[in-house]
Amino acid sequence: MSSSAEVAPVATLPDAHVAPSDELSREPKRKGGIGITIVLTLVALLWLSPLVLLVTTALRPLSDFVANGALSWPQEWTLQNFADAWGVGNFATTYRNSLFLLILKVPLGVLISAMLAFALAKLRLRFGTAIMFAVFLGLTIPIYITIVPVFVLLRSFGAIDSIPGLVGPYLAFGIPFEVLVLQSFFRQLPDELIEAAKMDGAGPWRIFFTLILPLSTPALVTVFILDAVATWNEFLFALILLSSDANKTIPVGLLNFQGQFSNNNTGLAAGILIAVVPILIAYIFLQRWIVGGLTAGATKG
Amino acid sequence: MGTATLEAPAVDAAVARRRRRKYGGIHAWLFALPALAVYLIFLVYPALSSLWFSFTDWDGLSPTYNVVGLENYINMPKDPVVIQALINNIIWTVITIVFPVVIGLALAILLNGKVRGKPVLRLIFYTPAVLPLVAIASIWGWLYNPDYGAINSFLRLIGLGSLAQPWLGQDSTALAAVMVPAIWLRVGFPMLLYLAALQGISQDMYEAATVDGATKSQQFWHITMPSLRPAHYIVLALSLIDSFKVFDLIYAMTYGGPGTATQVMGTWMYFNVFQYYQAGYGTAIAVVITIIAIAVSIPYVRSQTKEHAV
Repeated sequence: MSSSAEVAPVATLPDAHVAPSDELSREPKRKGGIGITIVLTLVALLWLSPLVLLVTTALRPLSDFVANGALSWPQEWTLQNFADAWGVGNFATTYRNSLFLLILKVPLGVLISAMLAFALAKLRLRFGTAIMFAVFLGLTIPIYITIVPVFVLLRSFGAIDSIPGLVGPYLAFGIPFEVLVLQSFFRQLPDELIEAAKMDGAGPWRIFFTLILPLSTPALVTVFILDAVATWNEFLFALILLSSDANKTIPVGLLNFQGQFSNNNTGLAAGILIAVVPILIAYIFLQRWIVGGLTAGATKG
Repeated sequence: MGTATLEAPAVDAAVARRRRRKYGGIHAWLFALPALAVYLIFLVYPALSSLWFSFTDWDGLSPTYNVVGLENYINMPKDPVVIQALINNIIWTVITIVFPVVIGLALAILLNGKVRGKPVLRLIFYTPAVLPLVAIASIWGWLYNPDYGAINSFLRLIGLGSLAQPWLGQDSTALAAVMVPAIWLRVGFPMLLYLAALQGISQDMYEAATVDGATKSQQFWHITMPSLRPAHYIVLALSLIDSFKVFDLIYAMTYGGPGTATQVMGTWMYFNVFQYYQAGYGTAIAVVITIIAIAVSIPYVRSQTKEHAV
């Protein structure tokens, strides 16, 4: 959680029994409950109000905002704030960097985590229990205890202030969660399938790539999405390991932008929206995977 | 294979085969290797080297340093900011667990009733959790703005203008003001877990209890709460792990200030290493908080391992 939103920001799923569909919304429809519905709708509006205010502020000229205040309905509408914020916030660059990092890191992280998870769940890796314990312990390690040595390590490789340089530490902090989810999913795949494939002469690599991975698509998608959100949002490593403007990611870029625009409320609101709208859209479309993944453990009880 | 020489070759081969079947052998290691290597190089090794640096007076820049033993740890209790940061960490942990868990549980119970638009409501309550913490800090910093911020504007609008104040700019309110967005963003996770757990409780139990004349509140304490025990455990364990690591929100919202009012161990470590060039002392602070974090979460990690171990 975020911390929530840290790489850790994304909450961890205790046990995975990830279903492709979201079980929560698939229950029989019940009618009525007007009172509770109204109460919950009001709470939900309160919950959304910071984001709603952000949108109305971003869409009005600064003069209108200053004259009428944050809570008023805009008298005039404009998109100019977005154009201003886009340039000043250097968002073209930070978007490119965040996207590059995502493409570089997430598929690789899911692949190597799936491989380790397969070794733990199905290949009876020696010292498997000890390794699992050591890897799960990684869930509790704060990033900041590794930051100084990681900085020194990357500097010695000449990988400071570069997006590819972030991949190693990001992978390491993503592995515990991904392995936790994937190995418990793999464990539920019947051994008979693997035995049958072995009879047909398939080696472990072929079994992994042509049997295990395709059968695990739901778990892989969930892990992929949650890891992508965590990667996109990560702040501390990016803050310390990236120094030049040309290499910053969205969260670090947004922090700089916030400093520069502190007196321009409408521009600031537009900049924040530029930074969060893609993730909000992705969340709305992919929410059943996220919710399904996060709640899988609890439903199993 | 010490005993192998004493046995016939056929038996030897059988033993070897059985052993290979018991453990996955070289292939299992090949599968495990990439992730384990990355984990060791970028997480385990740096964490252990921080432990080493914490016994030195390294400034973070010079090529050399002296080993000073436990000096950094001995100095910590004499550092008023460390004490304050630790207290703030504890306050932070308690508040950002209790409020989200209670609110999340209440929302889950309401959502589990007869409600229309449940998927949309659920979507809304979890939304803040997917945002970058820096964005959350920006949004709330903007809401808290003393002059133009929505919060003071609202107070003035309803005639409570005298309560309008620089929420993030004064010692008395800064920590509470930073915890509000943390609560805002963390309600969604317990809500989702509790909602899922509530839907797993059989309706028959409630019906039977109603027949027996149990009141709604008796049903809550004797059926609902006990059934939620596994969910409580998961929610609390994960919230604890998460709360201890607090850094991003405070760094981006108050930078530990005003003064040192909102310093937590994570930010104070950062200041020592990157502002005051006391890497040895800074890493010692990180070591302390990491040890506490590991100690409190070991039962959770162990239960996860046990559950999955063959």
